Amino acid sequence: MEQLLAVRDDDRSEPELAGAHSHVASCEACQGELDRLHQRTARLRALPTMAPARNHFPAVRTRWQWERNQRRIRMVSGMFTAAAAALLLSLVGRDLMNPPRLDAEQQLQTAIDASQQLEATLHAWDPAQRVVDGRTARLVVVIEDRIAQVDGRLQDAARLEHAERVQRQVELWRERVGLMNALVDVHVTQVSNVDL
Amino acid sequence: MTRVLTMDVLSPTEADAVVARARLGDPVALEALYRTYSTGVYSLARRICRTTEDAEDVLQETFFEVCRSIRTYRGDGSIWGWIRSVASSKALMRLRRNKYRATDELNDELAPARGASTALRMDLEAALDRLSDTARAVVWLHDVEGYTHEEIGTQMGRTASFSKSQLARAHQRLRGWLGDEAVVA
Ligand SMILES: [Zn+2]
Repeated sequence: MEQLLAVRDDDRSEPELAGAHSHVASCEACQGELDRLHQRTARLRALPTMAPARNHFPAVRTRWQWERNQRRIRMVSGMFTAAAAALLLSLVGRDLMNPPRLDAEQQLQTAIDASQQLEATLHAWDPAQRVVDGRTARLVVVIEDRIAQVDGRLQDAARLEHAERVQRQVELWRERVGLMNALVDVHVTQVSNVDL
Repeated sequence: MTRVLTMDVLSPTEADAVVARARLGDPVALEALYRTYSTGVYSLARRICRTTEDAEDVLQETFFEVCRSIRTYRGDGSIWGWIRSVASSKALMRLRRNKYRATDELNDELAPARGASTALRMDLEAALDRLSDTARAVVWLHDVEGYTHEEIGTQMGRTASFSKSQLARAHQRLRGWLGDEAVVA
C-alpha cells in the first residue's frame, strides 16, 4: 500500500518511487489496486458536506465579547496600577521623603493633599464594582479599620494647643497616607502582603 | 487536490472587505465569516471527530479562535485556508482530549458491526467511522483536504513518516472492509 500511495501521490521522497512506477505499469493486479485507490479517494472527496443543526455563532459571540471585556478590564486595571505607582512615587518620593524643607503647616497640607489624592485614585478605580478574593477583602477591612482609628485620633488632636496640634496632625495624616497607599496597593494590584 | 467548497459564496473582493472589517472586531463581519464557512468547518470536524457533539464543539472553538485571532491572519493564503487550518488543529486537539475516553486504535480491530458475512460491502462512511481516530484524521486531511504529510505530522506533533504510515494503514483497512469495490473504467 505504501508503494501504491507513493505512485498515486508521485511522492518524490520515496526512494523506490521509480521502481514502483515501473512495477505498477507492468503488473495487472497492482494496476487494479491503484484504480481502486483512486476511486476510493474520489469517493471520499465526494462525500456530502454536513451542516450544523443550529447556528452556533451567538454562543461564540457571547464568549468572545465576554473575554474581550475581561481583557479590557485587566488593561484598565494595569493603567491604574501604573498611575497609582507614579502618583505614589511623586507623593512619597518627593514630598514625604524630604519633609525638613517645609514648615509644619506646609507638611500638614502636603500630607492632607496626598491622602486626598490617594482617596480620589481609589474612588476612580471603584473597588465596589470589582470582585476581590477573601484574603484581599480581609486586608481591606483591616486597613479601613486602621484608617478609621487614625481619623478618630485626628478629631482628638483638633483639641490640642496649636503648636502641638499641627505636629500631631502631621504625624497622623502621614500615617493616614501610608494606610491609603496600602489600601490602593491591595485594591489595585491585589498585593497579598502589606506591611502595616 | 484541495476540495472546492460550494458554500464559499464570497468573491475574493467581498472576502477581503469582510476580513478587513472582521479584523477591526466588527461582529457583523465575523458573523458573515461564520455563515460562509461554518458548513466547511463543521463538515471537516464531523469527518475527523466521530460525534456531532464533538463536531459542534470544534465548530465553536474554531470560530471563537477566529474572532480573537483574526488580527494575526496576514492575508497570505485564502481566508478559508486559514480558518480551515484553525479547524483542523481544533479537531485534532479534540481527538487528543478524547483519547483516554475512547477506544482509539481499537475500533478498526472490532468485528464488523453488520455481521461477518456482510463484511464484503461496507458503506464508505461506516468504514471511515471504524478507522482509528488518528488514521481517519490522516486520510481526511491528506486525501480530501489536501494537506501534505509534513503539515499533518506537524499538526499532530509527529513526523511526516508517521502520517504516511497512518495513511497506508488506513487504506489497507478501507480496502479490506470495502471489499472488491466495482472498478468503473
Ligand atoms: Zn504488482
